[in-house]
Amino acid sequence: MLFDSKEISHYKVPTMATDSLVLSTLLAELALRQLPCGGWAALASSSQPAIEPTCYSALALGSVPAGDIERAQDFLLHTQNPNGSWPVFPGDDQEGGWVTSLAVMVLREVVPAIPARLQGFHWLMNCAGKESNWFWKWKFRIADRHVRFDPDKYGWPWFPDTVSWVVPTAFAVLTLNQIPCSCGGLEQVSYRVNRGVEMLLDRACPGGGWNAGNGVVYGSALAPHADDTAIALLALRDRAKEPVVQGSVDYLERVAATLTAPWSLAWAILALTAHRRPTTSLSSSLVALPDLSSIEDTSTLAVVCLALDQPRALQAFGVTL
Amino acid sequence: MIGSAALAAGAAVTAPFLLPKYHSDQRPKRSRVAILDAQQYSQQLDQILAAGLRLFPLDVRGKRVLLKPNLVDYIPGNTINTHPLLVLAAAESFRRLGAESVLVAEGPGHQRDTHLVLSQSGYDRCLRDERIQFVDLNRDQLIRTALRASYTGMKDLWLPRTVLEADFLVSMPKIKTHHWSGVTLSMKNMFGLVPGARYGWPKNILHWKGIQESILDLCATVPIHFVIADGIVAMEGNGPLNGSARPLGKIVLADDSVAADATCARLMGFEPERIGHIHEGSRFLGNASPALIEQVGETANAPATPFQVVPEFRRLRAL
Repeated sequence: MLFDSKEISHYKVPTMATDSLVLSTLLAELALRQLPCGGWAALASSSQPAIEPTCYSALALGSVPAGDIERAQDFLLHTQNPNGSWPVFPGDDQEGGWVTSLAVMVLREVVPAIPARLQGFHWLMNCAGKESNWFWKWKFRIADRHVRFDPDKYGWPWFPDTVSWVVPTAFAVLTLNQIPCSCGGLEQVSYRVNRGVEMLLDRACPGGGWNAGNGVVYGSALAPHADDTAIALLALRDRAKEPVVQGSVDYLERVAATLTAPWSLAWAILALTAHRRPTTSLSSSLVALPDLSSIEDTSTLAVVCLALDQPRALQAFGVTL
Repeated sequence: MIGSAALAAGAAVTAPFLLPKYHSDQRPKRSRVAILDAQQYSQQLDQILAAGLRLFPLDVRGKRVLLKPNLVDYIPGNTINTHPLLVLAAAESFRRLGAESVLVAEGPGHQRDTHLVLSQSGYDRCLRDERIQFVDLNRDQLIRTALRASYTGMKDLWLPRTVLEADFLVSMPKIKTHHWSGVTLSMKNMFGLVPGARYGWPKNILHWKGIQESILDLCATVPIHFVIADGIVAMEGNGPLNGSARPLGKIVLADDSVAADATCARLMGFEPERIGHIHEGSRFLGNASPALIEQVGETANAPATPFQVVPEFRRLRAL
């Protein structure tokens, strides 16, 4: 049995039991936050359902008898845009956004959702950062060079008509890697995934890790962020031997030990687990954070649950160990 | 990447505007700006700010006051964010002035983990100790809001309910240079109202639509009622994240955001009319001309050495 390093009086808290207890408490809280429509709102105090918290919550609650996952899946199916994408929240404009990757991932094992997922895959294949267009590529190469990046290496934007960024690209790569076969109009999947992976490698910060996607601006190296780094590393699990990836895992391991914010710490645990680095002490730090079940941000609550159930979370993200 | 649109935007704003792109002229006849001397961040800010606010005929009794600091990211040693002690002093002052409620709200534009920025920058503990509510504008409930100017060509934006329901919005910028927009002051600070959950990190759509234009559309749509600008230690050079600390020793208060930003620009050694959003904002949002600004407190003397800027913005510096 593993023991937590923190002693409470003369009694040592067994880590596994603590983690399980905390996880079940947090899952119960997450289930309580489900709205009548089946979705979850971004904040506990809000009643406006949104796709991102719904997806993380559905992934977290996927295998436990809490919450109504079928209702969550129905919610996602009913909010899909006619063009195959998902909006940020019901009622949003219908051009779609990066959360499409998350929705497609959540509906992975739902047989009636196969057509919806296919539409989602097609939308992702047709969506690309603005720098993929020859005109912008040329402009970034010739005239606008204050941000250092290679415009030939493009991924996915947060929303159509803007350039590629790290988090939407990482989630699109994770999602497209779940396509069972490159057929039926999806023959270019490998090409797009490879461009996305190249884009991620290109946008890394000089000292390792990623931020939103600006590694160097006006000659200055910008600092990486733990959460962006972790999400990128999940997408780059199969590129573990790349020096950029190794340097970024090292960065994340260093910074994770100092994190006190549950969102970043939870993502760091998932990514470090995926890259076979030890996370036991990080998990202990996570469960020791105060007031976890009263976290206002529902996505954070759900990602904390995922971090405490790593094997299933990584499976949901399509990451194999 | 994000720079391209910004530079294009700068060019667009300096070109003549043939037709008004704003719905209404919101300029007051005269504006009041107070420059307060404050050499360091300390508990005395409370008294300094309270004295400064008495220079304005403010009536916030029964109002819901929203303090909007500039909280972008945390990099050790970099003076990126509005100092939490100044925000605490503002909260305390508005409570004493009879506000029904005072909350702090921000949607960081670079860091997605708002909790982490709050914790690392010292806000978390300060706000908790003083029982001040914080709202993450990146994830607040959203309301589609028609824009009251058309510089970007966008008809509407999804904006946070908390902002739209506030009675009295106080923009609390850090006085900084900015590599895409020249300066980031009380007007540019409004980018933090735009929800990242809807528009991404950074709020890239605003860069593509033009930074100067987006500032104007936002400020026309969500009025800034008061400005408290943190210039105790400002930032120069490659702002808003990687610039150098520039001790200025000033807090700027104003009842007009254009007047505030024009005054801050002068304190930085810049010509405000060379800054697109200040110049254009002075046509309908507020007053930039010293003749229309009643100056109280310290005088707005330009520094012996203007603030450093990236090469594209050297034209801002007064000759």
